[in-house]
Amino acid sequence: MKATLDLINQMQADGVIGEYAIGGAVGATFYLDPVATLDVDVFVALPTGGGGLVSLSPIYEYLKARGCVEKEEHMVIGGWPVQFLHPCDALETEAVAEAVAATVEEVGTRVMSAEHLVAIALSTGRAKDHTRIAQFIEQDAVDRKKLRSLLERHGLTSKWQKFENAYLGGGHE
Amino acid sequence: MNERAMRGKKEMRKRLAALSFSEKIKILEKLRDRSLAIAAAGLRQQTAKSSSLAQDVKDQQ
Repeated sequence: MKATLDLINQMQADGVIGEYAIGGAVGATFYLDPVATLDVDVFVALPTGGGGLVSLSPIYEYLKARGCVEKEEHMVIGGWPVQFLHPCDALETEAVAEAVAATVEEVGTRVMSAEHLVAIALSTGRAKDHTRIAQFIEQDAVDRKKLRSLLERHGLTSKWQKFENAYLGGGHE
Repeated sequence: MNERAMRGKKEMRKRLAALSFSEKIKILEKLRDRSLAIAAAGLRQQTAKSSSLAQDVKDQQ
């Protein structure tokens, strides 16, 4: 992972990407016990071309020139398949902006906050996302007050109530 | 699962969660390598199975 982050940081220093944040299972691992995954989700604001389409080309070209290989929707960097994701809504944009500093083997990086990871998981809503939210709650890894305000701000309160009723026995505090 | 086992599991998760991000990433890498090895073994088995099936069909012809 050190090599992966070194190259992503270099790409940022070279101006190919702006601020980024790690999300998904690797991001969750910052707060929880390790969550098995095969790839790294990197959220980064990407330039939009004509018609509002987001282009990954600058990233792919930069990485390919440095020996990285494209594999399906990933670029393999330092042995890790990395998926670059453009924030698709205000919640994900905020998650990138408010990510927290972290280090892996002395390499600096940024990870989404626990509350943003939970809110994004709730919004995505797959079975594995629900499992992850339950882990955050069980391990007391989220600030409930911050989470509540985040969910309110992004219109996720009723979804959260449904989740609470279904999986946390309702009104888990 | 009995209560003691559940408690033990919870304790272990707590211990793992308390590790540094670097240590947890190392565990992730091991988990990933293991998953890939298991997947590859499954594929090998499937390939061996289908080749032996193909051989059976051939033998029957």
